[in-house]
Amino acid sequence: MSDTPDRDGAKAAEEAQLRAVWANPTGWRYWTSVNNYQIGLWYGATAFAFMLFAGLLGLLVRAQLAVPQNDLISPELYNQAFTLHGTVMMFLFAVPIFEAVAIFLLPPMLGARELPFPRLGAFGFWSFLIGGVFVCGSIFFGAAPNSGWFMYPPLATSEQAGIGADIWLLGLSFIEVASLAAAVELIVGIMKCRAPGMRVNLMPLFAWYLLIVAGMILFAFPPLIAGDLLFEMQRMFDWPFFDPARGGDPLLWQHLFWIFGHPEVYIIFLPAIALLAMIIPTFAGRPIVGYSWIVLAAVGTGFLSFGLWVHHMFATGLPQISLAFFSAASTAVAIPTGVQIFVFIATMLAGRVIFSTPMLFAMGGIAIFVMGGLTGVMVALVPFDWQAHDTYFIVAHLHYVLIGGMLFPVFAGLYYYYPLIDGKHMSDRVGRLAFWLMFTGFNITFFPMHLAGLRGMPRRVHTYPADIGWDWLNLISTMGAIVLGIGMFAVVVDVTLHRRRQPKGETNPWKAGTLEWISEPEENWGVRSIPRIESRYPLWDQPNLAREVRAGQWYLADAGEGRRETLVTSVLDAEPEHVLRVGGTSTVTVVSAATLGTVFVALTFKLWLVSLVAGVAFITAVIWWLWTGTGEIPEKPEKDIGRGVSLPIYASGVKSTGWWAMFITMTGDGTAFASLVFGYFFFWTIHDDFTGGLAGPGILWPMTALALFAAAWAATLGAREANRRGNVASARLLLIAAALLSAAACAAALAGPWTAGMDPTSHVYPAIVWILVIWAAVHGGVGVLMQLYCLARSLAGRLTPTHDMELHNVALYWHFMAVTALVTFGVVGLFPEAL
Amino acid sequence: MLRLLPKEVESLWTLFTAPVVWAGHFLLCYVVAAIFCEKPDFLGFDFANLRVAIGILTLLSLSVIVVSALLAWRQWGFGAGDPPHDDPTRRDRLHFQGYATLLLSGLSFIAVIFTALPALFIDGCLR
Amino acid sequence: MATLFWVMTVGGLAIWAFVVGFSLYASRWKRAPVSEASAGKVILLAGVVFPVTVLTALLSYALWLMPSLRPFGGAEQAGLRIEVVGNQFWWRVVYHAADGSAVVSANEIRMPVGERVEFSLASADMIHSFWIPSLGGKMDLIPGRTNRLSLLATKAGTYRGQCAEFCGVSHASMAFPVVVMEPAAFDAWLDARRAPSPAAETGDPGQALFMREGCGNCHSVAGTPAAGTSGPDLSHVGSRLTIGAGLLRNDTDTLARFVAHATALKPGSQMPAYLGLPVEERAALAAWLKELQ
Repeated sequence: MSDTPDRDGAKAAEEAQLRAVWANPTGWRYWTSVNNYQIGLWYGATAFAFMLFAGLLGLLVRAQLAVPQNDLISPELYNQAFTLHGTVMMFLFAVPIFEAVAIFLLPPMLGARELPFPRLGAFGFWSFLIGGVFVCGSIFFGAAPNSGWFMYPPLATSEQAGIGADIWLLGLSFIEVASLAAAVELIVGIMKCRAPGMRVNLMPLFAWYLLIVAGMILFAFPPLIAGDLLFEMQRMFDWPFFDPARGGDPLLWQHLFWIFGHPEVYIIFLPAIALLAMIIPTFAGRPIVGYSWIVLAAVGTGFLSFGLWVHHMFATGLPQISLAFFSAASTAVAIPTGVQIFVFIATMLAGRVIFSTPMLFAMGGIAIFVMGGLTGVMVALVPFDWQAHDTYFIVAHLHYVLIGGMLFPVFAGLYYYYPLIDGKHMSDRVGRLAFWLMFTGFNITFFPMHLAGLRGMPRRVHTYPADIGWDWLNLISTMGAIVLGIGMFAVVVDVTLHRRRQPKGETNPWKAGTLEWISEPEENWGVRSIPRIESRYPLWDQPNLAREVRAGQWYLADAGEGRRETLVTSVLDAEPEHVLRVGGTSTVTVVSAATLGTVFVALTFKLWLVSLVAGVAFITAVIWWLWTGTGEIPEKPEKDIGRGVSLPIYASGVKSTGWWAMFITMTGDGTAFASLVFGYFFFWTIHDDFTGGLAGPGILWPMTALALFAAAWAATLGAREANRRGNVASARLLLIAAALLSAAACAAALAGPWTAGMDPTSHVYPAIVWILVIWAAVHGGVGVLMQLYCLARSLAGRLTPTHDMELHNVALYWHFMAVTALVTFGVVGLFPEAL
Repeated sequence: MLRLLPKEVESLWTLFTAPVVWAGHFLLCYVVAAIFCEKPDFLGFDFANLRVAIGILTLLSLSVIVVSALLAWRQWGFGAGDPPHDDPTRRDRLHFQGYATLLLSGLSFIAVIFTALPALFIDGCLR
Repeated sequence: MATLFWVMTVGGLAIWAFVVGFSLYASRWKRAPVSEASAGKVILLAGVVFPVTVLTALLSYALWLMPSLRPFGGAEQAGLRIEVVGNQFWWRVVYHAADGSAVVSANEIRMPVGERVEFSLASADMIHSFWIPSLGGKMDLIPGRTNRLSLLATKAGTYRGQCAEFCGVSHASMAFPVVVMEPAAFDAWLDARRAPSPAAETGDPGQALFMREGCGNCHSVAGTPAAGTSGPDLSHVGSRLTIGAGLLRNDTDTLARFVAHATALKPGSQMPAYLGLPVEERAALAAWLKELQ
């Protein structure tokens, strides 16, 4: 504490070291960066590129439909174009763009240095890029999927779907894995990495929304992954899940797809609304009115959105009472949605609104979205939907919802947050011009589609007769699409060209109150030091905060040990718990994504050997990643983070972020498993005798497998306890026993259907039994790898009685494994006998 | 009455009680009705019983939601303070949680009633 | 149903205008900010109370309406049942009268006015959807399932029906005309179709061509040896309004064109193109087909 120059010098050295620790690599190694700013930018730019590509496909579709009996493109190409348009917009733009924005914005918004698993984020990005290019590229070889973006069998399982269906299934499964990775990252980030003092009642609304959305991903995407699995088993090996001739049913796919597909609409919509919840208070110059109402709306929508899936199946001949339940939930979901809109209106009412370009896009989005919401209520009612279903009325409705509820808010976000990317503004003039072009173009394109649909025009037709009153409506739509396209083009020009000439502006140009505006575009460290938060709008209510944070006067201002670190805090009150060392630059992310991508691509072309080799390479890469990048025993137990606070560097069990990640991953995994079990009982309900008179796996082998899995589970828990008590030798022995028991359990599991001679191609009953048993056995196999990994860590001295994070996580995995085994073998072994 | 309720639980999960009840109610209604219509002999009762079953389930769910709302009301300090509950204190955090839970209980209450409406209007497995 | 539609359309537009107007008022036109408490009341009244009221009414009305639109449960049946089987990209149509007799046709629906008709809907390959916009909602045709739909036409006339579920390359060309007739006329029409067409037994050169080219392997013509079932029944094809499942108006020119260019007119259809058939033979074949009244 001597004189100021010394302290300034020390601070400058500290800052230089911090900057060096967080710096990106240079040269080609730049692409091995894992920092959230880089990943967020790459993710966002890639998603935007896919959006433009899908937009061009949309224009192609509109060009073909401009006049009746048009032969601009062949029906084959048309079908690929509309399928890819929908697929790319939904899977490669709408969901990834929110992941991109979240990865970019969340750390500074929460007052964190980084999200807890930066390498996982990078892995997700590379998976997304590889899968996306694979899916999009297919159209240039005439091999794009052509059965519509929801891929209904039997069309999509037939020869007519060609390799495009495999590309869709495998390419998108790969991307769904990336989405689940992002969900893990976001949930743990939001729950555990907030700045000290940022209690749940002070969390930025964006974080609340993203928490709910990430939770929804965990329950929405796995059913689709399960469906993809069944689908691909049918396409590759002729297992008849959707073939009615052998006991299957095409409707099972529709259930699984829409259990995913409807929540997905809200997974897309809520983050966009979250952007508005950040933008509107800034330009109203006051805190949001009805913070709790927003939480109500986000949580309520999150739940209700899972009760809507059958409203895509109102015309499939299900009992009316079933349809009615879903009609009721579809109506109810309008309530929280309406609340969100009126929260924004109330906030504007109570503030003085500055009508900037972002606000223009926000208001335009709301105007469009409300229209889509109202037609949504119309189609939620069964009698009207019987008429409107699968017509252009639906096409209009869904574009009003998605473009108003997602694209316009994202553009509002782009104009609003652009200064955070490189300190410059987007052009206000171009922005307003683009807005009006897009707004009018959009309405000219899509409003007439309501009328075309009411006049009987079904969707997905490559042409239509001239004399039935659809022609001029379609011509107007095509004109509007061109205007909309020009509007989008203006924004692209603005992003790529115009801004270069601009000078660098001030930070926080909109005078916003939330913490993300503290971040400095040229720095990678998120925040210079991690402050204590005492308000929902800290930059408005804590006047010296920005200066103190940038001067490094708050927590964790240094990286004295040369490591990237951030704070982990408690869930409710955000009390500091420990210092988390996050992963730095590494090639392992790229290698893992590339090998996993190779597995999926090779499977598409049925190159079994290549996919096997790549699979082994992927597992090796992941083990290398975990071995070198996680569970490291720190050189000292605690670190002084400044202001007299000292926190532990190592955590295991519930306190560690890894435990949360495992818990969240396994929740998603459990949902996929539940979807398969749903399939089993689905087949039971639709048949008088769902076994088709075929032999089942019996009781003996399933019960043996169950007993062995239970023993393996107990041995794993025993190993954790023994290790915790310092009894390392017995822990190791128990791990060996657990691994042997698990391997035996897997063998016993497969022995059931094997010894009964169940042929999965003969009927759906053996097929679904095999799938469940294989699911359990594969999870058992992963369990063995985990047990052996712990054993190796223990032998290598990297897992000790006090540093036992791996064992806790593996034990947690085995809790889920035990439930999986109980359900699997209870169902396949006992249920047929109980009937 | 309120003394019988459990002590305050310090958890984020209490927020989700009422929507989870809605989800359970919704799923049970759907599954039971679907099995009833697909396998008429399996459950061995007629549509009137199905309606009564849905009615009882609905009343049960509504009462659980009311209990959750009462707990939330207590957590909110019986409405002692008005929103926005944005002070950096544990007290305000609890009040916020209580208030948000109360709102969610209200929404779930309405949603459960909506879900039960079909049983009032539709009799039989019409398709 | 029409009431529901108009109530929702007018109501929806009014609500839209209100929300947008209110947003503009809140953001641009108001003079001074209102208090936070009043703004909170806006959320409660406009965001909760009003929507809940409207939605409850709408949902109840729609649920009440449902059974009356599709009233058939388990065993009840209408007098006339029309079986429709979807194929890529055409419709097999079988009329089952109350007396148990059946008449096979294709790609056209005829039904009596003022009488509820039941459709049993099945599929031979992909999922299709049976939809006559002017008469009522749609119902899917799903392989492995038989769905039921009942329609009541209240006005005689000719309507257009179309497949509404994407079913492959030529999904767009899978339509059908619907002729709603006075009951007596309908009965006469149906009776006339119980017997082979007089033209089927004339020994017309077109008939010889039909048999020579193997058309009978896929198509049936009652009264001739042609008994194929993988294509549309052509027993009375001459009297249909369209050919190619609503694709072309039915006359000898279009029939000849369809025979020669089926794959171009309808990509992905099973019907081969008989491009090798000389023009005069196409004409003779078409002339005979047109005479199958």
